[in-house]
Amino acid sequence: MVSPYPPLRDGIAAYALQSVRALRAEGHDVEVLSPGPSAAHHHLDLVGPRGALALAKRVRGYDRLVVQFHPDFFYPIGASPTQRAAVSAALAAAFRLAPHVEVVVHEIDYRHGAGASPAALAARALWQQVDRVTVHSESERTAFVDAFGVRPDRVHVTEHGAAFVPHTHLDRAAARRSLGIDQDAFVFLSIGFVQPHKGYDRAVRAFQGLPAPARLDVVGSVRVEEPQFVAYAEELAELAADVPGATLHLGFVSDELFDRWLIASDVVVLPYREIWSSGVVERARLFERPVIATRVGALAEQTAGMPDVRLVSSDAELRDAMWEAAGHPRHGLDAGPWPSADEGRAAIQAAVVERAAAMRGGPVASGTATDATTVRDRARATAPLRRVGEVHLPDPGHGRGMRVLARKVVRRLTGWQLQPVVDHVNALTRATAEAVDRTTSGGEGSTRTGR
Amino acid sequence: MSERRGRIGFVPARYGDKIVGGAEIVLRQMAFGLQERGWDVEVLTTTALDHHGWANELPAGVADEGGMRVHRFTVDPGGSPERAELEARILRGERLTITEQQRWMNGGMRSPELYHYLLDHADDYRALVFTPYPFWVTYACSQVAPSRSVLWTCLHDEPYAYLELFQPVFSGVAGLLFQSGPEQDLAERVAPSLAPHAVVGCGVEVPDHYDPEGFRERYGIEGPFLLYAGRREGGKGWDDLLAALARIDERRGLPFSVVTMGAGEVRPPERLRGRVIDVGFLPDDERDNAFAAATAYVQPSRFEAFSRTIMEAWLAGTPVIANAGSEVVAWHCERSGAGLTYDDEYELEQCLAFLADAPEQAAAMAVSGRAYVLDNYRWDLVLDRVEERIEQWTVAP
Repeated sequence: MVSPYPPLRDGIAAYALQSVRALRAEGHDVEVLSPGPSAAHHHLDLVGPRGALALAKRVRGYDRLVVQFHPDFFYPIGASPTQRAAVSAALAAAFRLAPHVEVVVHEIDYRHGAGASPAALAARALWQQVDRVTVHSESERTAFVDAFGVRPDRVHVTEHGAAFVPHTHLDRAAARRSLGIDQDAFVFLSIGFVQPHKGYDRAVRAFQGLPAPARLDVVGSVRVEEPQFVAYAEELAELAADVPGATLHLGFVSDELFDRWLIASDVVVLPYREIWSSGVVERARLFERPVIATRVGALAEQTAGMPDVRLVSSDAELRDAMWEAAGHPRHGLDAGPWPSADEGRAAIQAAVVERAAAMRGGPVASGTATDATTVRDRARATAPLRRVGEVHLPDPGHGRGMRVLARKVVRRLTGWQLQPVVDHVNALTRATAEAVDRTTSGGEGSTRTGR
Repeated sequence: MSERRGRIGFVPARYGDKIVGGAEIVLRQMAFGLQERGWDVEVLTTTALDHHGWANELPAGVADEGGMRVHRFTVDPGGSPERAELEARILRGERLTITEQQRWMNGGMRSPELYHYLLDHADDYRALVFTPYPFWVTYACSQVAPSRSVLWTCLHDEPYAYLELFQPVFSGVAGLLFQSGPEQDLAERVAPSLAPHAVVGCGVEVPDHYDPEGFRERYGIEGPFLLYAGRREGGKGWDDLLAALARIDERRGLPFSVVTMGAGEVRPPERLRGRVIDVGFLPDDERDNAFAAATAYVQPSRFEAFSRTIMEAWLAGTPVIANAGSEVVAWHCERSGAGLTYDDEYELEQCLAFLADAPEQAAAMAVSGRAYVLDNYRWDLVLDRVEERIEQWTVAP
């Protein structure tokens, strides 16, 4: 098994460990090689052609070579096409020497198989050497076959959580005690590495305004200390600090602690902006915790048939789902009496603004004239920005036919590149609106603390 | 009444009757103690004995070692070039990223074979007892089956204790056994969400008799002497102690020689050359005799989770002079009334002056120490507490 491995804390490492445990329980003699020192039997720097060739020297002694594949294990980050071609060729040589090669694909860039460039040809040649490719969804399977020209019968779909076992025996009460959570709290949990594409800020915004005993715990660490990841974590911490009931627990999370948080939770919230497939969904399923997740990547396929998973397509839907889960359905907010006509149009307009702000995740006025005015003023200040609306990729449509198929293919091939831009534009819009909102409230300290 | 169902695996990184290391010695005694009480006990450890080089010295496999079933696994000594640098940064109190902490942990000694044995067989054990917390074996292997993992924590107020890396270990295992109140207090400061935990103390063997004069005779030791037992390492305060004694000798003349037993290089300063006597690693009875023969036992270490040696001194009726920087040792000295502490070289000097000027008073002060140990740290009392906790925290397969 070639993979990152515990005690290194990493999603693929945890996945590999469970696979190793399952294979050994079946009676297989399994040895592990990891990219750095770990509990694996061997370790080797696998990056670059030299890494692949070093791997080639070791594979012949094994009956089966199982590779947990992520491009970063083998290809230098930001590799040029020439470098990619060299790595692919070296990896192909290594795979050719192994009697039987299985690769579990955790992430891959399908573009690298397209066209007739040397890099693309090398990539396709590499994957021809693999006896069995495993992916986690049918759409990944289709895309993989299309991109790399691998025979479909060699590409298999496996349930992400097929080999998962619990890492804790605690029940919910004990898990909550250990984490300092009240037994009567309603706990939303977003857990995993803190990175922009995980979208935890969306969960915090959606949660904003929910009253106690609801709470949102965002739990994870920064996987790589890249400036943009660190900056995101800092922004997330600032955002959470401003939302009563939301807490960012930034720190190292072991497998056991990961499961303990899951057990302690009521609903797992995965507001991903991008994802291939989610191990967290599988672990939540292991503990029978309901999940609210965004409809991105192959999550729809992965969660098909999982009754406890609710997929949402927008921030508004995310908010609705979370509020409903906590027992505050949207209609509950709308259910209060409106101002009467006798109170005047201004009062009604103020109520409109206030309720809209609450739905959006903004401040909720207590009902006094001053607060209502404040909310209205702030709403007016951010209105031009909010009017811009969110950007979304065009829907390719439904049904059959060449046109729909072509749109779907185009979206699949370009989505990985366009979606981050779309998300970033939306994030910028939100951030700007929030900045204006804060400026407006600068002289109205009581408004921010009063919500 | 304990039912003693299920197998208990003790998992120290190194094991043997010649190991010098408080945690390892205690774990070995605990393993034998529980076995004698009827538990099915096994030791899972590595083939290494030396915690500096981690060389594979003993054969891998299963063997009966003095009546204990011991399963040994090969070790990768590690020693990445980066590790020493990361270690130095930790000790300087710098904040390491979690990635760096993981590289530090995995850059040292590892035992993948032991790890995978546990991966395959953890369910065969009711409890797996690990020690001490900063070793890779404890850190990595206790996470294989956390619900069965119990730590003989050996927590000291040292930079490692504050690494984020250990938080899940402190909060996620089946239970943490502490040897003293201050150790528990420290753990509660370091990890606010502690796993189930309890102070169980630490067992000390009570000798039947002492032969101080015989010890002096056999080792050619004359006159009053200060005793130090344990690892002769900077981290244990040994080098600082010798340097301080040399300066005290220069100021007022040191009316004692220094006798030391244990492992590690002695390295006396020039001024004390010839007055520091290394008797090496002693058998248990001769060790006890040394404690009884000493004028005082000196504990210069700031990093003690319990300090068995001060208990051995008190059992022998010998007063203790200890570094007050160790909260645990200071706590014992205060509770027992049988030891003095020092915060600097000048206080050490005055402690030694007291020993020299009023030896009868010093001996009288030490009397309460023996009762303190017998009332709190006899093995039968400690094993009762350990059994109770294991049965409370774990479930028999």
